[in-house]
Amino acid sequence: MGPRDGGGIGDLAGEMEVDAFRLLFPLRFYERHLLESIRPDARPLGTARDTSVALGAVGSADGSALAKIGHTTMLAAIKMEVMIPSSESPDEGCVAIEFHMPPICSPLVRPGRPAVAAPVISKQLSDVILSSQMINLKELSLITGKAAWMVYLDIYCLDADGSLFDAALLSAVAAFSNLCIPAVSVNEDGRVIASSGENREGKTMKELLNKEKRKLTLSCIPFSLTCILHKKYILADPTAEEESIMETLVTVVLDSSTRLISLYKPGGPFLAYTSVVQDCIALTSRRVKELQKIISEAISDMEAD
Amino acid sequence: MAGKSATAPTTYSPSPSQRKQKPIFKDVDWVRPDGRGFHQCRPAFLRTGAVNAASGSAYAEFGNTKVIVSVFGPRESKKAMMYSDIGRLNCNVSYTTFSTSVRGQGSDHKEFSAMLHKALEGAILLESFPKTTVDVFALVLESGGSDLPVVISCASLALADAGIMMFDLVTSVSVSSLGSNLVIDPITEEESCQDGSLMITSMPSRNEVTQLTLTGEWSTPKIHEAMELCLEACSKLGKIMRSCLKEAASASQE
Amino acid sequence: MVGLSAGEKHFLQGGIAQDLRSDGRKRLTYRPISVETGVIPQANGSARVRIGATDVIASVKAELGKPNPLQPDKGKVSIYVDCSPTAAPMFQGRGGEELSTELSVALQRSLLGGKSGAGAGIDLSSLIVVEGKICWDLYIDGLVVSADGNLLDVLGAAIKAALSNTGIPKVNISAAASPEEQPEVDISDEEFLQFDTSGVPVIVTLTKVGRHYIADATSEEESQMSSAVSFSINRHGHICGLTKRGGAGLDPSVILDMISVAKHVSEQLMTELDSKISAAEAYEAES
Repeated sequence: MGPRDGGGIGDLAGEMEVDAFRLLFPLRFYERHLLESIRPDARPLGTARDTSVALGAVGSADGSALAKIGHTTMLAAIKMEVMIPSSESPDEGCVAIEFHMPPICSPLVRPGRPAVAAPVISKQLSDVILSSQMINLKELSLITGKAAWMVYLDIYCLDADGSLFDAALLSAVAAFSNLCIPAVSVNEDGRVIASSGENREGKTMKELLNKEKRKLTLSCIPFSLTCILHKKYILADPTAEEESIMETLVTVVLDSSTRLISLYKPGGPFLAYTSVVQDCIALTSRRVKELQKIISEAISDMEAD
Repeated sequence: MAGKSATAPTTYSPSPSQRKQKPIFKDVDWVRPDGRGFHQCRPAFLRTGAVNAASGSAYAEFGNTKVIVSVFGPRESKKAMMYSDIGRLNCNVSYTTFSTSVRGQGSDHKEFSAMLHKALEGAILLESFPKTTVDVFALVLESGGSDLPVVISCASLALADAGIMMFDLVTSVSVSSLGSNLVIDPITEEESCQDGSLMITSMPSRNEVTQLTLTGEWSTPKIHEAMELCLEACSKLGKIMRSCLKEAASASQE
Repeated sequence: MVGLSAGEKHFLQGGIAQDLRSDGRKRLTYRPISVETGVIPQANGSARVRIGATDVIASVKAELGKPNPLQPDKGKVSIYVDCSPTAAPMFQGRGGEELSTELSVALQRSLLGGKSGAGAGIDLSSLIVVEGKICWDLYIDGLVVSADGNLLDVLGAAIKAALSNTGIPKVNISAAASPEEQPEVDISDEEFLQFDTSGVPVIVTLTKVGRHYIADATSEEESQMSSAVSFSINRHGHICGLTKRGGAGLDPSVILDMISVAKHVSEQLMTELDSKISAAEAYEAES
């Protein structure tokens, strides 16, 4: 179909049937917008959607956060459990990260058939979080060779509207910054038990194992930005609609001092030139500053409460 | 989650799983853990439109119980399904791993999906969407007691948000019997030592009960009392849900 | 599923309205009940109950286990129902799974009481051998051999008969060396303790067809139901469990009315079952 035909349909459609045109000719619909350097949701190409973070969203968890990028919503929660560390690394704890896409988040996910994207994002998240050295696993040790923390981080996608990895990583990082390690002591059987306030005043007063280290020191916090490459355009922070129409995605992960942690380009019909990759990285480093500000504001909001 | 625990079987939660002193519920002058009166429900917070990707959705928060329900459809039934001149309703309830105080304990509620289905099917005009399926998916973010009633009420709100035709909103409330007392809208601690429980799902404007379950030993007058309590609370909850829908509708008009 | 023509439907509903059902019964009369006990020699207790053409086998198996740390003074009971594909064409493949779960949950609700164990038909604290250490685990399995309506009532009756047929071996405990250790046990082959079934309730299902409700519906009648309520009622006339099936709504006053009717029906059913069970046991002892 030539451009004339497309134009003709556009003229025929007129104002009233924009939605129909969008459904029937999604790519043409987008390309017309891109020509004007604007996206259907009124964003410039390089701008991410409104982003917000709320800490401590889950009462039953040790640390939690709710992150929203546009409509994409992620709920991350951390539960701490005690384990016996492995013999290779007796003074280190462990972090287990799991990303879930329950059927509520998208019409494409149905119960019993887990989403294809979920294990991929799970793996990417653990790779990025563990390789970025954000968490010092030695801080998770309780008694060398005897007991250490197992950190279960579960991220639930509540609403899937594109850029799932970015939102998941943001919620994960925020949940870690909200994490408060429970105070514990050792009982007669050698099991580690939580010491509640009452116990401390009672006669069975025990030495607390972790008096000081109640917060993790987070160094080199990773942040990410996903971009779509389409012809000469780079679209930052795509929505689910954009992701379904234009297929070449690049995800860049930088740490807080804008060092590159990971770059991920899973196939797609467009080749990425060096200059394009550099543009993506530049966009990401701008995004990192925004995200840092959002996180630190969320933390100071939490402390003010 | 079974696979997860199999790979790391050695971890345990440091918080004690067994409470040393069992709270004494049998006293007459006993006060509920959250300070409510026996016949007082938790404050309810309800919002529609929680999930943008769904046809309709709702979020409900009753005390510590937090639930999201998404409704998809009416959409094409699965390929294997036979022709049906009335619509199908498909329900699923799942829990997050962090919904309970001990990780991964919330997943043993297989019957909830069937019970949600039974509670809703009588209220929906299935004839209005022949050959297609409406999916109702619920996720319990945090379990704080009376989970199923909250899921059912939230699901009917989500169905209304999706524009699925119903005879009436479905509201659900449960009552626990603790000793000689009846407490409405119980929290987890109360549910764990209850002598019996009664859950009613009703359509308040039609004064009909769509679902009723009861456990424990009950005498007839006690059932009367509990049913009256539940039905009264159901009609109150129905009013709250109605006003929530009206608010959402007037906000979208502006 | 039962396919009925318009004429058959009309006949069936008209009969119910006039208190004379297709098989000649009144609205609240049960079909003839037959009870056989001890049908499975390997089980600790078993029974086969037939009501009309509905045929069900229940077995009870007792094994020693460890009590739940949250309830150290109670044994454990699990109830599972299986719908045999021979019973009805709809049970083939995975078709019976949903019904099996529904029946299992309904039976658990009826027999096991509230979370604290109050109102349980099966006294869980009688299953304890050493508190916090050893208890009996009862595995109750129900098998639907032939289905012609009213499965829940028949299953309830079969479990009641199987439990009264159950003998739990006597256990001798040798004194443990220290409270920490698991004590050694010796299970007797000769001495059995009879299981106390006086608290086990009967289940009465009232099925609403048209404006009336009937007891012990056949599957033809069930296909015309708008809703059904199952009541489990014990010897004292107390309700121990209640499950509603069918989507249609019911007026609360109708439910209360049903409760009083169900109580009345349960008294007759309880008496009849008791005499049938003792007759079956007497017959088993003779042979």
